[in-house]
Amino acid sequence: MILLWIALLPLFGVLVPLLCSQRSRLFTTWATAAAPAIALGLTLSQAGTVLQHQTLRYTLSWLPSLQLDYALRLDGLALLFVCLVLGIGLLVILYASYYLSEQDSMPRFYACFMLFMAAMLGVVMANNLILLWISWEITSISSFLLISYWWQKSEARKGARMALTVTAAGGLALLAGLLLIGHMVGSYSLDVVLQHGDLIRNHPLYTLTLCLILLGAFTKSAQFPFHFWLPHAMSAPTPVSAYLHSATMVKAGIFLLVRLYPVLAGTDQWYSIVSLAGMCTLLLGAYFALFQHDLKGLLAYSTLSHLGLIVLLLSIGSPASTVAALFHIINHAIFKASLFMAAGIIDHETGSRDMRRLNGLWKYMPYTATLAMVAALSMAGVPLLNGFLSKEMFFAETLNQSILGSLSWLVPVLATLAGVFSVAYSLRFIHDVFFNGEPIGLSKTPHEPPRYMKLPVEILVGLCLLVGIFPEFMVQPILDAASAAVLQDQVPSYSLAIWHGFNFPLLMSLVAMAGGVLVYTQRRHLFRFQHQFEAVDAKREFERLIQLSVRRANVFSRWLENDSLQRYLLLMLLALLVLLGSSLRELHPLSGGRSLLPLDPVTLCAGLVLILSAIATVVVNRQRMLSLLFLSVTGLMVSLLFARFAAPDLALTQLVVEVVSIILLMLALFFLPYKTPRNAAAPRNLLRDSAIALVLGALVGSLCFALLSRPFDSISSFFMAKSKTDGGGNNVVNVILVDFRGFDTLGEITVLGIAALGIFRLLEHLRLFKPSADGEGRLWARQRDSVILNVIAQGILPLALLVSVYIFLRGHNNPGGGFIAGLITSVGIILQYIAHGVSWLKPRMRLNYALMIASGVTIACLTGLGSLWWDRPFLTSWFDHFHLPLIGDVELASAMAFDLGVYLTVVGATLMMLANLGKLTTAHRPQYEEMQ
Amino acid sequence: MLSTVLLIVLGMVMVALLLNLWRLFRGPSTPDRILALDTLYLNAIALIVLFGLWKDAALYFEAALLIALLGFVSTVALCKYLLRGDIIE
Amino acid sequence: MNLNELPLWLEILLSALLLLGGLFVLIGAIGLVRLPDFFTRLHAPTKASTLGLGAILLGSMVLVSVSHDGVSLHELLITLFLFITAPVSAHMMCRAALHQRLKIAPGTRNGEYQGLTLARQQERDSSRLP
Repeated sequence: MILLWIALLPLFGVLVPLLCSQRSRLFTTWATAAAPAIALGLTLSQAGTVLQHQTLRYTLSWLPSLQLDYALRLDGLALLFVCLVLGIGLLVILYASYYLSEQDSMPRFYACFMLFMAAMLGVVMANNLILLWISWEITSISSFLLISYWWQKSEARKGARMALTVTAAGGLALLAGLLLIGHMVGSYSLDVVLQHGDLIRNHPLYTLTLCLILLGAFTKSAQFPFHFWLPHAMSAPTPVSAYLHSATMVKAGIFLLVRLYPVLAGTDQWYSIVSLAGMCTLLLGAYFALFQHDLKGLLAYSTLSHLGLIVLLLSIGSPASTVAALFHIINHAIFKASLFMAAGIIDHETGSRDMRRLNGLWKYMPYTATLAMVAALSMAGVPLLNGFLSKEMFFAETLNQSILGSLSWLVPVLATLAGVFSVAYSLRFIHDVFFNGEPIGLSKTPHEPPRYMKLPVEILVGLCLLVGIFPEFMVQPILDAASAAVLQDQVPSYSLAIWHGFNFPLLMSLVAMAGGVLVYTQRRHLFRFQHQFEAVDAKREFERLIQLSVRRANVFSRWLENDSLQRYLLLMLLALLVLLGSSLRELHPLSGGRSLLPLDPVTLCAGLVLILSAIATVVVNRQRMLSLLFLSVTGLMVSLLFARFAAPDLALTQLVVEVVSIILLMLALFFLPYKTPRNAAAPRNLLRDSAIALVLGALVGSLCFALLSRPFDSISSFFMAKSKTDGGGNNVVNVILVDFRGFDTLGEITVLGIAALGIFRLLEHLRLFKPSADGEGRLWARQRDSVILNVIAQGILPLALLVSVYIFLRGHNNPGGGFIAGLITSVGIILQYIAHGVSWLKPRMRLNYALMIASGVTIACLTGLGSLWWDRPFLTSWFDHFHLPLIGDVELASAMAFDLGVYLTVVGATLMMLANLGKLTTAHRPQYEEMQ
Repeated sequence: MLSTVLLIVLGMVMVALLLNLWRLFRGPSTPDRILALDTLYLNAIALIVLFGLWKDAALYFEAALLIALLGFVSTVALCKYLLRGDIIE
Repeated sequence: MNLNELPLWLEILLSALLLLGGLFVLIGAIGLVRLPDFFTRLHAPTKASTLGLGAILLGSMVLVSVSHDGVSLHELLITLFLFITAPVSAHMMCRAALHQRLKIAPGTRNGEYQGLTLARQQERDSSRLP
């Protein structure tokens, strides 16, 4: 239960800043920090257990049949990451409150930030692969929102879009990979998956799965060749960079690799792919970091290089290298977050991040400079700081591997080379910014930041020192626990001591430092060398690619969707033809052998009328009004035939729907040309269209015949048998609608309500041409009302309501129900609209249709939820019989309340559509008619 | 005797139905066609009531009632369309 | 219900009602086809057919009431409804026809009626214009 709170508190915290939007900035900051602070406290309260190498679990079943659970776990690895996410998150919240200026919307920033934090916690605590993936995707989306926080800036938008595109594409690959794992193991639970490492590694689909998952991890962690988005994401506000690009977002990919390490690692494919990507990223990042003039750009490339280092360590695959990787995750998060914050302070206080202009800041902000220098030295791997320890372990591990076969000796050499550049760019950060003369052309005089803006940096730098000097005391327990979780309790013996004596790793460190100093002092030559190459702007290339794909997509969709409904219909019917035609070939012989019903003259006659009017509809299709008339005959005959073949519910529904849609069509026809214009291609198309129609008609006809003439055992017998006993109603159709398939109906009325609201919104500001004469040029009649019609229409309304109440009440046992009753009521009210007009009716009948829809859906939902009260599944229906004096036996069913919801929604939605369509013209009617 | 009478009356109504349809097709004016449609609704009520008697089923009366109501509404709407174009104004 | 168990007088009454109804419905339909112009055609179904339908519904009411032990009121409701609405439908259709100035069969008395009403209506409308 505590785990649930840890995961959910930051999620609730999303609302806190939004609710505080009227309060002061300080209040907002502290209120926002409350949720993660409590969550961190809860985590620490559980730390004792977890550090004993135990795993805490919490599972909330959601869809057990699909193995979709809200499952959380807290093992050593998760604990490590939860502490990083929450701890650094808290510091960044404090820092951001000083960093954001008055113009920036604080609630929006904090809300996105908390969303990201919650998603990140979901990633690290998930015990179910699908939950992990969903959280993963939310991190992509919320990071998009955070990077584009200054959406006014073009580069912020572009950078955010690039980050989202790359990480979301990787997310899709990851989903495929996770699904494959689920397919192999037969479960999405991490507990189960982690037990089946051998099964997965020996599975034929292993290589594909590995590639997909690595795609996800590498895009997220900006590994080569997907590294290009990270430097461009630096257009985000610095607190975002400090959080996302040091401790969390980019570490999510690393986390995934570590999490799935027990099941994926240890194969040749793993060695080769992961080590190659890690090595390239390590060297590339370290080399290019030196050439950045932007402070944050330098840090971004250095982040790349450190991520590459961690990935390389993971690829080596020995237990000790894994421990080193975990250790470096901690160290990098600490010093990189503090460096980003320091860079933010410098940016904030000087107004520039360009290292060619920032010089000699030591004089202006000595305190901040000291903090930044300690952190930068840690990044360079100077002894007595935490970066030194893990880098030393890294060097040691590069000596103990054989990932490149006989060329394995290259690895330590390249690692040392990366170390050289790492020292060089750290020196550049220190020397260029804080010494090296005077600042050039700054817009304001730099000075120390506010007291509490430095606090987060102080804490982090303090941690750098503490971990660097007392590593055993500070990180040993959690590193042990995390390693145990990853290596499944085969933790190697390792030493966190600062001094291991004179050995090769120390020599490599010394070479790196000496080389770094040399490279930095001689950097002019390197800069000149690098200057020869044309700089490739990843953003421009990426934008070009995006624009290209958008253009291609446009061309394609314009080819496919040319806005011709006839064409869409043609394509759909052709598809149907192909699908139906191929499956009909198996239906041989056509007749299933059931004896046919006797033909009576009445049915024959009605069928004849139906056929003739259908043909007439087609023949006169260009005269829209006429074909509407024939269409209504068709509808009438269809409902008569429904009644004839004992489907009274269908007959009633068909009748009412028919009339309502005729009215709807007439409302629409008013705005359309009286006749369909003659198409030049018509004669040519006529042949084609009639051929398709005939063939399709023949197909559907024979399909119906084949189906109906076969003895067909459907599920209807089940409904017949259970309707009375389980649903308490004799009318099977109604019981199916409100009980057996009640959930469907709930969805349908919701959709109906949404559709009505959508139509309302579309029509709201629509201005249409109102024709002043009919198709033959006659002006419309001047006189609007007919007194006789008005009086009679008013008299019919109560009658219609009576009928609909009757139909509604008997619906559970006899033909009828909420849907038909709702439509009858609507027809009664529409008659009033037709007779009196909107302006007369509006003050006299105050019905709020939107409210009706809302209350209808609410009633239906509440009825469904009511069954939860008695510990039954959603929408379980209840019925009982009561004996009342005078009235007799009365049956009460919860389905009745549900049906009431259906009724209200149908009335509200129908009237909202029709009345608003009718109202379209009211606005521009000449004034004199309003006066009548 | 009654069964025979029922069949005869059903036959009459069916003939009437076909005659209505002829007027509906023939026109010549739109009000003519609306009149034919209205009569068709009336005859459908007769048909459905008689059919109910013939098959001895009471289920058809709701349908008859609804046809009466809806036939009226659709006739009125069609006439209003001819008169004013805009049926809900 | 067994149609053969009814007393003879009831059977005769019912047969008469149904036959009368069917006859009127048929006459209405024949009138709809045969009469010369819209205004004459309007009379046939709205009067004859409605009456015929009323007779059929009455017959059905009696039959169902006798055979099912209890008064059947559905038919009464339908009849009532039809008798209220049929004149209104006719009125509306007539207005539509007048508006469209449909041809009048020769020999119609008050032949100028159509023009007359239109003129009067236009006069009234124009007087209402602001």
